Amino acid sequence: MAEHVLVLVTAIEAGGPLRDADGEALGAAQALARERGCEVACALIGADVAAAATEAAERGAGLILTADAAGLAAFDGGRSVTIAAEAVGRAEARVVLIPRGPDVLELAPRLAARLDGASVVGATEVRTASDDVVAVAAVFGGAARAEYAFRAPGPHVIGLAPAVAEVPERRPGRSAPAVALAIPEADGRVRTIEAAPDVSGPRLEDAKLVVAGGRGLQDGENFALIRELAQALGGMPGASRAIVDDGWASFEQQVGLTGKIVTPDVYFAVGISGASQHMAGCANARCIVAVNTDPEAPIFTFADYGIVDDALDVLPALVRLARERGA
Amino acid sequence: MPTADASGGGLHIVVCAKQVLDPDGVNSFAFWGRLQVGGDGRSFDTGEMVPRIINAYDEQAVEAALRIRDARVDCRITVVTVGDEEAGAILKRCVAMGADDAVQIVDAAAGLGDGFRTARLLAGLIAELGDVDLVLCGRQGSDYDQGTVPAALAERLGAALVTMSAGVAVEGGTLRVVRVTPRGEEVVRATLPAVVSISNEIGTPRYPSSRRMMQARRQRPERREASDYEGAPGAVGVEVTRLMVPDVQGHCEIIEGGSAAEKAERLMAQLHERGLLGG
Ligand SMILES: Cc1cc2nc3c(=O)[nH]c(=O)nc-3n(C[C@H](O)[C@H](O)[C@H](O)COP(=O)(O)OP(=O)(O)OC[C@H]3O[C@@H](n4cnc5c(N)ncnc54)[C@H](O)[C@@H]3O)c2cc1C
Ligand SMILES: Nc1ncnc2c1ncn2[C@@H]1O[C@H](COP(=O)(O)O)[C@@H](O)[C@H]1O
Repeated sequence: MAEHVLVLVTAIEAGGPLRDADGEALGAAQALARERGCEVACALIGADVAAAATEAAERGAGLILTADAAGLAAFDGGRSVTIAAEAVGRAEARVVLIPRGPDVLELAPRLAARLDGASVVGATEVRTASDDVVAVAAVFGGAARAEYAFRAPGPHVIGLAPAVAEVPERRPGRSAPAVALAIPEADGRVRTIEAAPDVSGPRLEDAKLVVAGGRGLQDGENFALIRELAQALGGMPGASRAIVDDGWASFEQQVGLTGKIVTPDVYFAVGISGASQHMAGCANARCIVAVNTDPEAPIFTFADYGIVDDALDVLPALVRLARERGA
Repeated sequence: MPTADASGGGLHIVVCAKQVLDPDGVNSFAFWGRLQVGGDGRSFDTGEMVPRIINAYDEQAVEAALRIRDARVDCRITVVTVGDEEAGAILKRCVAMGADDAVQIVDAAAGLGDGFRTARLLAGLIAELGDVDLVLCGRQGSDYDQGTVPAALAERLGAALVTMSAGVAVEGGTLRVVRVTPRGEEVVRATLPAVVSISNEIGTPRYPSSRRMMQARRQRPERREASDYEGAPGAVGVEVTRLMVPDVQGHCEIIEGGSAAEKAERLMAQLHERGLLGG
């Protein structure tokens, strides 16, 4: 076999299709493979990956590697890393791209360390430079970006940020050779004893409209106004970390670097200063509306529309208008 | 790392702590458009204007270790850092909080952003200490936001890894760890030896008393050189070759009006006109 640029997709749920992020990774891999004069391989690790495998081939992967087992529907630490390491070997990959998702932060550096390689996560750009790849990622919560060169003998493992590339078009009927990867025993050193709540309701990450509040709300009770406006507009409430830390909102509602990354059509930032770590979670909204008493607040440099006024006066007015519209 | 010895001798916990530029200071510079890259092309030119502090998550990792001790687990807590000559300063705060010992590895290549190198040096030190059962890290450095070290360290040590922890308890020779996931909290059990990374959900770290601060100021951390553990100087994993500060061009339309209600009304009209409010 020859070198491939490998896309590594883990935790595929039973029969699930590829997610947008997976398709974007295939797109990014294709660009790199073209420059390296090789093909794209796609490893699919999960429970019942047949549908995803077909789609990966139809979206241009020239080699499919699969690991199919019920227990792999969720990322399984050391076991997933072992399977991924075999995929890297089979694909003779020097460059491994991992689509964005909650597991990348663990998978990328572990896989790299195991194979004497190196990793960068959150890459907004991956390009070829003098025969090797260079990755660019946000640092200091987004206040700056760093360009990374790879110095390790092993593979270059890169976790991708959203929207690094277009999803390649699907050519129905296109197929590729498929290889089944060995599935080791679960490593048993880390076992889940109480699972996270099975939330099946709407996800903040998918919301078309988000109303987020920050410390400018003055008091925890006023977060109710954020919830009311979100509800009246058919959206979901969000929060800055400052007020999650204060207990005014829950961790699941936090937007930002260490919270959720949202991409709604409209993002209301109410009483939020606009720290880079917060913007890391909402900068890709189509339209940002800022409500803040301080006309110098950094949020206004990111916003499309701004209201310089007291959140506690503006919110009730917005709630009333939104309800009138809805009625 | 040896396997845990629950039968006496106590638990040896190592906390890894990193010195970083105060992120609030960096934010302020960015706010005022004064954040600039220095002559080397890969660090900020903020000089002494932005202080260097302990990575906040690492202070919380020290707190996590102390809570294990609070739960009456017999343990020894050693804080370690890899950095330049000045980096050892953060260890004093950890000792003042309650850590027993402090070790600094002085590494001239510490500014390259190479977590793989750092993990190698830390693994060398931990092997030398010999009896380490549990390593606590922060979830990520607030400088490069990568979270490389805990994962790379676990692989090097052949230890269990649990990331994103909001609480760690030792129960009969194993760990019970509460994890923060995008769906909410989960609980896992992990065998020792283990590496656990701590997230901010663990809560506010304790504040050292001024008496303890005074005492800690006099305690010198033990010193090691990078060359004690690592032959090749320079990056072994990745290297930051260039730092860039984005130029944010504001394009905000400020909605004017005589009252909050009037502004709200004009805003809603705008959003509606642009078809941004759905149906
Ligand atoms: C490593 C790291 C990770 C982080 N991750 C995140 C993250 O994921 N998400 C996140 O949000 N933050 C994160 N932060 C914190 C971030 O840096 C900021 O501290 C935080 O976002 C500030 O929250 P805030 O805007 O609500 O509060 P503040 O910064 O205190 O801002 C409050 C704003 O409200 C305005 N205001 C005051 N009164 C009123 C009023 N009556 N009406 C309207 N406006 C008013 C003020 O002018 C001010 O602009 C992180 C920080 C670090 C170091
Ligand atoms: N230079 C260092 N010295 C000691 N611990 C470190 C160092 N760099 C990283 N760590 C640990 O690894 C965690 C993740 O950091 P990073 O991999 O740099 O994002 C930190 O929170 C620390 O606990």
